[in-house]
Amino acid sequence: MAEAIEPRIELIGASRRFGERTAVKALDLTLEPGRIHALIGENGAGKSTALKLVAGLLAPSDGEVLVGGTRLDEASPRAAMARGIGMVHQHFMLVEPFTALENLILGAEPVRESPLSRLPFVGALFGGGRLDLDAARREAERLAAEAGLSVRLDARVSELSVGEKQRLEILRVLFRGAKAILLDEPTAVLSPLEVGELYATLRRLASRGDTVAVVTHRLDEVVRFADDVTVMRHGEKVHAEVLDGDARAHEEATIRRLTRAVMGGDVPDATARRPIAEDAPVVLELTDARVDGTGSRGLAGVSLRLRAGEIVGVAGIEGNGQRELVTALAGVAPLVAGRVALDGAPLFTSHGDAPSRVREARRRGLVAVLDDRHHDELVLDATVADNLVLGDLGLAMPGAAVDADEAALSSRRFERFAVEPRDPSRLGRELSGGNQQKVVMARALDRSIRALVLGQPTRGVDVGTARVIHEAVAEVAARGAAVLVVSADLSELRTLSHRIVVLSEGKLVADLPPTATDEALGRAMLGAYTEAPGGSR
Amino acid sequence: MTRLLGPERQRLVFALAGALIVLNVVSFTFGQPPLATLTRMWQGTWGTPYGIGQVLFKATPLLFTGVAFGVAFRAGLFNIGAEGQLALASLVAGLAAARLGGVLPSPIAIPLVVLLALLVGASYAAFAGAMRARLGIHEIITSIMLNRIADVVLPWALAMGLSTDGVRTRTIDDAVRLVSLERFVPALRGSAASVAFPMAVAVAFTVNAWSRRSRAGRELEWIGQAASVCEAQGVDVARRRQQAMALSGAIAGLTCLGTVLGYKGYYELGLGAGAGFSGIAVAMLGRGGPVQLTLAALLFGTLAQAGLAINARVPRDAMGVIEAVVIVLMAAAAHASARQGASPSKPSPAEVQT
Repeated sequence: MAEAIEPRIELIGASRRFGERTAVKALDLTLEPGRIHALIGENGAGKSTALKLVAGLLAPSDGEVLVGGTRLDEASPRAAMARGIGMVHQHFMLVEPFTALENLILGAEPVRESPLSRLPFVGALFGGGRLDLDAARREAERLAAEAGLSVRLDARVSELSVGEKQRLEILRVLFRGAKAILLDEPTAVLSPLEVGELYATLRRLASRGDTVAVVTHRLDEVVRFADDVTVMRHGEKVHAEVLDGDARAHEEATIRRLTRAVMGGDVPDATARRPIAEDAPVVLELTDARVDGTGSRGLAGVSLRLRAGEIVGVAGIEGNGQRELVTALAGVAPLVAGRVALDGAPLFTSHGDAPSRVREARRRGLVAVLDDRHHDELVLDATVADNLVLGDLGLAMPGAAVDADEAALSSRRFERFAVEPRDPSRLGRELSGGNQQKVVMARALDRSIRALVLGQPTRGVDVGTARVIHEAVAEVAARGAAVLVVSADLSELRTLSHRIVVLSEGKLVADLPPTATDEALGRAMLGAYTEAPGGSR
Repeated sequence: MTRLLGPERQRLVFALAGALIVLNVVSFTFGQPPLATLTRMWQGTWGTPYGIGQVLFKATPLLFTGVAFGVAFRAGLFNIGAEGQLALASLVAGLAAARLGGVLPSPIAIPLVVLLALLVGASYAAFAGAMRARLGIHEIITSIMLNRIADVVLPWALAMGLSTDGVRTRTIDDAVRLVSLERFVPALRGSAASVAFPMAVAVAFTVNAWSRRSRAGRELEWIGQAASVCEAQGVDVARRRQQAMALSGAIAGLTCLGTVLGYKGYYELGLGAGAGFSGIAVAMLGRGGPVQLTLAALLFGTLAQAGLAINARVPRDAMGVIEAVVIVLMAAAAHASARQGASPSKPSPAEVQT
């Protein structure tokens, strides 16, 4: 360890401006080797920017970044890598058609020297040697074993689950010799079990002397797994503490303290879900619904009844039919068998294409928010104002003028969840993930709703906004709509739902009260739960 | 300098400087002093009123096809078929104008002919659009193939009795022709410029306003940016694409305004040929808006006319080389500025997770 790169990283008075906006203001931050450092804060608080400064992906406008005591001069992925810093981004940067191993070595191909490669010119032509896949595999297997990461090296990335892709990203960083690993919202896409595994891996890396930093929104995992926590607000550090055994022992109190720091004050209590009326009628009913899967089993016959005012949570390990359930109810994916009925009348009976099904669902009051923001919900290159009315422009004849009401509609939705930055003419891609989600939710919740279907409604959204969204969803239900929430966040499901159903391999395998334990839910997710699922109760 | 000029204009300056260097080399190769060649080019284009008129005339079809390509391109479609669309529309316009001359008064006859040209261009392109929307066959393939079909059908149709001599249609009555620009600007006398040029500019502005302000226009732009999102949000992607393709073809069909109605007074084989493809370059160069588009059409019109002016000393094909150089340099400069503008703060577009 003597001459190994010292991975202590310090930000000293570091600021970063983007044009007029200051994303990070005079930040002092020290990441110690051997510890897991959590960085928390609201959307747009500057966490991701701070992480990129640490990673050397962005250069500070003021102040400096020290790695092992020396100044980091150049801001580029290559320079960062040379200093032993690796970042795992929120959105995976993997080549889908390549295998895991090929992705691993991309840009850092191990080569076997040959006599030819020593010759001038010819050597360059042969890239300095022959690709040594076996050596790469041995090294990858060694690193994976050491960190406790299981990745199928010969599977194509497109065949990997979300959790596996993330493990591959971590392995790739390790493969390049990183001693400091930075992760941007790594748990947003993981199931509870995978979250535990991820932190076990991170702990293993920390205990061998690596530096680990994590940006996250989930305070419970911060308290459970991190050693240090820094809270950012409006680009500044507002709170920092060391999470010792005492802080962990009083988890509730610690979470409250951190929540106050994140929000900059007290927050209202979590949503109190309203009781459902005894005689509430069934609003949304699925009968043996089957949907073809994209790369998974799909939906293999699901029956479910939601009553007016009822909020039903759907839990499950990613890729067990959740996306198919939501896309089918949205009208995007066709049912291959089974029925969907809204207010007793069948839906999706005509053999139209996706847009006409989507419009039919919306006209009848079945409103859906899909889980893949960038693929289904937001035009990243269009303005926020445009995105807020996307799909609501109707089917006017070509050439028809812009609706006079459109501006009003757009600005009402813009205000609903106080989208930041306060400028609707920004492009969708300029917003943080959480603010993008605010746009999406504001648009959906503004429609007239009989049944609401939400896929990962608060993924990547900060605590404060998540509560506002939860409150709005509870209100929709209180007004007599049925709500189906698909989420990887069990605490979200517990907060919102009247009952939680569990999807495993495209089927509903359990129907549990919101008070069910993590263990009971986890067992059901793995398909080990044997109690027969019920319809409505 | 970088402050004064936007990235678009910097690119243009860069490309023109490169073109000038290449022009010098070409001129030398043919044993001509570069300065003399340049002078000749200047006199043949912007140096004389006649030259200006000719540049406007040359720019007219390019502006129509540039707008046509641009409309489809905004929606993420490649209409490579303007060539065939404008040829068919021109033939029909030529035939109709010849038939209507003297039958109907010109305020009725001319709009009728224009309407026919629009319809023919639109339906020919709509076929490619329908193939894409309904069967998923890429419009590049179909629109190129439709060009080839037009190439064959036109000579056959002319030979089968639509023409006076196998290559051209009957001459149109003066009443159905477009007024020459020299009626308003006497200095342009002798040049082939007609009111088709201001009409093309008007079309460019109208289409731009439609794209930015109308529902269909805006939805088309969103479809070009993220079709999957539009589909999931209930925008009728297939129908909108068909509309974009038809509109693109209709505008390509308008090219006959400059050639058939504004200049020749009849349709002959090959009239307007090449404008379909050059329009692509015009559209890519003039992406910023209608002003840029018009300037781009004028630039390519200037190059074409300059080629004619120096034809006696330096082969006209040399201007083809210059045109190519401008396109390549523009593309290179665009790529360079895109790389410069890319900041590491933005992750590349997320891979689609399903």
